Formats: sequence, structure tokens, C-alpha cells
Amino acid sequence: MHSSTSSFDRGAVPDRYARQTAADRPGVAQPVPLRPVPAQPWGRILIGAVLLVVLLVAGWEEYWRAYGVRPSIANNYGLWAIQRRRIDAGEGDATVLLGASRLYFDIQLPVWERLDGRRPIQLSFEGTSPLKAVEDLAADPEFTGRVLIAVEPDLFFSGYEYRAGAIRYALKESPSQRIGQWLSMHLIEPYFAFDDPDYALQTVLARQPWPARPGLHSFIRVRKLSETEADRNTHLWSKVDTDPEYRALARRIWLQNFEPADDDPSPAEALKIEKEQIARMAKAVAQLRARSVKVLFVRMPSAGPYLEYEKRNFPRARTWDALLAATGAAGIHFEDYPEMQGYNLPEWSHMTRAEAERFTAVLYRIIQRDFWAPGAR
Amino acid sequence: MVFNSLTFVVFFACVLALHSLPLPWTVKKINLLIASYLFYAAWNPPFVILLWVSTVVDWYAAQGLVKAQRARTRHAWMLLSVIANLGLLGYFKYGQFLLDNFTSLMSAVGIAYHPAHYDIVLPVGISFYTFATMSYTLDVYLRRAAPAQNLLDYALFVTFFPHLVAGPIMRPTELVPQFAQARRASGEQLRFGLALMTLGLFNKIVLADSFLARAAERVYDSDKIPGALDAWAATLAFSGQIFCDFAGYSTTAIGAALCLGFAMPDNFRFPYAAVGFTDFWRRWHITLSSWLRDYLYIPLGGNRHGARRTYAALMMTMLLGGLWHGANWTFVAWGGLHGVYLAAERALRARFANYRPGPLAFVALGLLTYTLVNVTWVFFRAKTFSKAWIVLRGMFGQNAAAKPILTTFSLISVAAIVGGIVLTHWLMRARTLESVVARAPAVALCMIWALLAFAIVIAQGAGNAFIYFQF
Repeated sequence: MHSSTSSFDRGAVPDRYARQTAADRPGVAQPVPLRPVPAQPWGRILIGAVLLVVLLVAGWEEYWRAYGVRPSIANNYGLWAIQRRRIDAGEGDATVLLGASRLYFDIQLPVWERLDGRRPIQLSFEGTSPLKAVEDLAADPEFTGRVLIAVEPDLFFSGYEYRAGAIRYALKESPSQRIGQWLSMHLIEPYFAFDDPDYALQTVLARQPWPARPGLHSFIRVRKLSETEADRNTHLWSKVDTDPEYRALARRIWLQNFEPADDDPSPAEALKIEKEQIARMAKAVAQLRARSVKVLFVRMPSAGPYLEYEKRNFPRARTWDALLAATGAAGIHFEDYPEMQGYNLPEWSHMTRAEAERFTAVLYRIIQRDFWAPGAR
Repeated sequence: MVFNSLTFVVFFACVLALHSLPLPWTVKKINLLIASYLFYAAWNPPFVILLWVSTVVDWYAAQGLVKAQRARTRHAWMLLSVIANLGLLGYFKYGQFLLDNFTSLMSAVGIAYHPAHYDIVLPVGISFYTFATMSYTLDVYLRRAAPAQNLLDYALFVTFFPHLVAGPIMRPTELVPQFAQARRASGEQLRFGLALMTLGLFNKIVLADSFLARAAERVYDSDKIPGALDAWAATLAFSGQIFCDFAGYSTTAIGAALCLGFAMPDNFRFPYAAVGFTDFWRRWHITLSSWLRDYLYIPLGGNRHGARRTYAALMMTMLLGGLWHGANWTFVAWGGLHGVYLAAERALRARFANYRPGPLAFVALGLLTYTLVNVTWVFFRAKTFSKAWIVLRGMFGQNAAAKPILTTFSLISVAAIVGGIVLTHWLMRARTLESVVARAPAVALCMIWALLAFAIVIAQGAGNAFIYFQF
């Protein structure tokens, strides 16, 4: 490697802070580096910068609070990992909730705990098929409890995973990440509303009305829908219910999914994927039941165009009925129980918090009455 | 732990507090050593053992080198260090790569070889600290430096957390003498160090992770076929991402060390304003390129044994430099391309020794350098050669079936950020950051510092690892 400055280069103009680097000193011991500090009133600069940052952050926080955002715990892999670890830390006989956003938002853990005496472990993740999480539990001999698996047809039978990395993260989480999770949950998240991925700088800028690029299908990404607590008890964000504009936006986002897209699998491929998902689930359920784990599927309520889309693309006989037949497990379909119908789902997919509390109690009673009580079927 | 994490903020505050206590210098050094081990163990505690192995082997090898009377014995001690360090690197970093290639080779000659499953976790930063420790033994072997006076200073040189996992790759003569006397940052050093850390973290969290990484991922990590605009935008985005990621790390590391009163060397000098590839490598990852020059290129003969040998040494250095970055042939191709560029530049300079470009030609040559550097980034970023060819074909307008991939916002943000980076490098190419900061009004510095910090806060970085940790 040539060690002199390129002959094309006109050379650097020396200044009082100029210094050589190792590039200028080939084949010799490198001396202690020079690290000059530019002459400036650094004390005053630092104080001014800190004050300005405090003002800017306060303004940013106030802006999002005025929009209706409240501090909540970040729904991330670290939080999921904390709940997952409970199973291997003495709560292997617990009730575990595994599903996507409907089970996640619509089951209220305090209500369940009040009725059951024990708080379930919430391991659902929004936009994500529970299959891998079920397989993970099936492979864990520590788990001997009960599992409620939610079927949200467009995710469950397509195998879609928006949050695909949670299990791997939980396995590989470093001590540094664990400490960071604890610090964030105790020092940042309970106090700052803006600390939410939906209000990150890039996300906010990206969703401004930029001109559409010709030939590129524009797709609005799912906006903030929920608020989460430290044990992943989660509920629909009240703004979805109370702000008609925001509710309309949430509905518009779902409607995008109901239109055919270029990268959709062909009908034959979709059927193949469905069968694979069912077969894998059946295998995992068999493993769980071999350890006497009670497995129960639940088809959570949906409404309006969302329900129509699901019925059209994932007909019950081909999906739900086939799943129960393949797994041999019991299931609760909301259409079979009048008391599971008629709830307020502002954006057709999730219940308001009050409705979720009512629904949790109803579902718990059905489960106890028909499935998990001694002598139940 | 990574610099861009809450854990590091708390860790660093504790280290600063401890370092400012009125304790004996030896106790402070022990504190720094323990803190550095904690810093490393925060990823994966058992891998601290590797650090110890590397430290102890080179400590005793250097002692042996000093005591050895015969040249052959000195040679043996040097080889012990090199083999131990490269052995660690080879096992953890290249084990799977070697096995895969051996299996492919066997398959090519008709032998079905099925090796046992070989699941090795790469210890973070192993390439950096093995190079740092090797430079210690090699400097003693080459009689460029005396060995450290005590094991504590040497262990702290290897382990000192600001440079431990991603450089700058320090030489013992740069750091060990700084441990000889009590050091504590002055108020000015502490504040400027914090300003450098803010600048580095802004580069990493805001520019690299929040904006540039996504554009590169959408093209390089998807199955879609990019057209010219998307392929160039993604590659330019990666050129900006890797600079902001790695230079951001180096700046943060330099700032962290300065806060503790230690000086670390420059690792980047506005490389995208390089004119020519020799110039590029004097500005990009300076501590690695000078390491390879001093311990590989020069021992291979350098430019002292005729043109043919020089070109061979150059190519060998760059190919191995490419392999150092990762166990994949795409990295070797990246290094090889840089080797070809350097060789071609050398040949051209010999052929046109009297050529002096005018101002326009100077800028044009700079832009040509940047463009050709971007071509190499394709091999660095793509996980496979087939992906690299797809992107390259796109860059040269050869993907007829291409459809738009990046949004208008992505294209605008890449153009604005990468354009800003290249322009800044040209404005700064003959300056130092310190000289510009010294001339700037204090009010402007205060506002810029605050805006960088504010952008870091509202960008909400996810604590993504720095790209170079994997190397």
C-alpha cells in the first residue's frame, strides 16, 4: 500500500490543530496521539446546549401529549422476553395467551386474574401468527400449564409474522439488553409519551404527504393502536374510539389489506401455506398435549368489512374447522356464542378497553364452564 | 454493551464518577480494567476468557522476546503470538467458512462430505482486539517498542473499553505510555469529549440507523429487482450508512476516552472527498489500513522489491484486508476490487508522473473515486454474489424487469443526507474538525450541539449494534 499522499491531491492546508495520523508514519512505532481541544468557552456552550435540549424535548413531549398520547411501556422484544422467562422461572403451570393483536388487546389480565386468582402470561404479538411461539412452548418441558391460542385468520393461516424475532431475541438477549430494558421501563417509558415508535423522527417524517412515486403502490403503515403496561397487559388506545378522524384512518389502513396486492401468493400457494400452518400447529399441539397441557383455540371477534374479508378469504370450513380436526383440540368460535357477539370494535378488529374488560369476563366464564373446569368437556 | 444504549449511559456515568474520585492511580486503572471487562461481558460473559487468553499469551510472548538471546527463539515467541491470535480468529470467525468451502471443494471432486454441525458464535470485536494485541508482540519483535512495564498497563491497553470492540485499532505505543502517569480529563476535555460523543451518536442513531439503513435494506434484503434509481439510491445509502455507523463509533470512542483524559487516534479523515484510492485509504479506517501496511504489506516486501512484487503485496494485503471484514467471499471481492483500484492508480501515476489536474479535473477525479468506491460497497453489503450482480446490473440500467422499490421520501432523504455527507467531506478535506469548531461562534456550537442531542432523543434508536462489531 502506498504511503504517500496521492499526487492528485493538492495537499492539506495546515492549521493549528493539524496533526499526523498513522497513515503518515509507515513502519514505525506510532506515538501517543494528539487530541487537541478547540479553544471555546465549553462550559457555557454545554450549559446552553443542555437548557436548549430540555426545552426542545419538553416541547416535543407537550406536542404529543396534546395529540392524546400518554406514557406507556414499550411493546418490544425485551418486554416479551420478561414474560417468556416467567415460564422457566417457576410459573410453568401458568395460563399462557398466544395470539396476535386481538388476543393481545381484547383480553384484560386484571379481569382474568380477578376471576381466576392467577394472572395469565401474555405472549401474543400484534400482526404475528402465534405458530412459532406455540412451537417454542411445545419444545419447553418446563411448560405444563394451559394455553389459549387465538386464531386471527389472515395472520394465523398465512403464517405472517410482523414480529418474527421475539423468540430468538429472548434466547439471545444479552445482559446489557436486559439491563437496558429495565432502565428504560423504570426511567424513560413511564414518563415520556413521545417515546413510542409511532412518533420516532423518521416515522413522523416518512408519513408526511410526500408525492407518490409513479409505479410504486403507496401503503399506509399501521399506526399506534394500543397502550401497554409492564406485564404486557394491553388495550386499544382510546383515540381510536374517540377521535373519528383517527378511527377512519385506522379503518382505511385495514381496507388496504383487503385489496389484492402484487406480492400476494397465488390461490394454490395460499392453500398450501394454510395446510402447512395447520400441520405444524397440529404437531406442536400434540407435543403439548403429550405433557398434559390443556390447549384451547379461540376465534376472536371481528366485525364489518374485516369480518367479511376473513369470511371471503379464510372460510370457516376450510380453516377453523380443519384446524380443530387436525389438532384434535377444542375451540371457541365467537359466532357460536351469542355472549361473544355485539361488542364495540371501532376499527372492526379490536374492542375498546371497557368492552375488552367485559369480553374477558365472558370468555373466561365460557372457558371455565365448558372446557377447563373439572369435568368439563 | 453498545454506545447507543441506555445501559452504556449509566455505565459511562459510573465510570466517569469513579475516575474522578481522589483514588491512587493504580486503583483508578484497576477500576478502568474492571469496567472494561464488564463492558465486554455485557454481551456474553464467557467470551471475557478469550480476552484473557489473548492478553496473557501476548504478555508472555513479549516477555519471552525480550529475554531471548537467539534470533530463532525470538522468532518462535513471535510465531506463538501470531498463531494464538490468528488461531482464535480463525476458529471463531472463519471456522464455518473454512468448513463450508472444504465441503464444497469435496463435493466438486465428487466426494460427499457431511461435517458435523458446527454452531459457533462470533465473539464481538475479536478482529479488533486480536489485531491490537498482535501489534504489541510484533512491535516488540520488530524492536519498534519496549514491552509494557507491568501487566496491568498492558491488560488495560488490550481491554480499554472505548476501543475494545470496534477500534480505532490502537498500538501499544499509543496507549500504554498514557497509563504510566495519573490522568484525569480537564474540564475542557470532558466537555469536548461529550460533544464528540454526541456527534458520533448522531451519526449512528439518526443518520445511519434511522434514515440510511432502511433504504439499503429495502433493496439489498428483498427479492425485488432494482432499477437504476433504486440500486444507486440503496448503494449510496449504504455508503452513507457505513460511514456514519463506523465513523460515528470512532468519534464516540474518541470522545469517551477524552472524557477520561486519554487520547485516541483519528480513524477517519473525510474519506468521501478522497481523490484516488491511495488517498481514500489514508482517510478511511486509518488504523486498520496502517496496521495492514505495517504488519502485512511491508513484511511482504512493500515497494522495495520491484513492481511485480509490489503489486503482488498490494493485492495480497487488500484481499486479506477484505477477508478480515467477514468470512464471506463477497468481502474478499470487495478487498480485491480495492486492490485492483490501488494497483491501477499506481500504474497510472507511474505512466503520467507529471500530470497535475486542474480544479475541475480534481473534483471529477474525486467523484470518480467516490463512484468506484460505491461499486465496491455493493460487494460489501450484498450477502451473496448473485445479489451483488442483481444490484450492479440495476446500477448500470440492465434490469429490464425492475419496478420501483423506494418511496419518494426514501429517495429524498438519501439524496439529502448522502449529498450532505459528500459535500461536508469536500469542504473539510483539508481541515480538521477542531479547526472548524475553534472558528465557529459559540452560540452556533451551542445550538448545533443541542439539535444533535435532540435529534438523538427523538430518533428513538433501537440500540442497533454497530456494523463493524461483526468484523
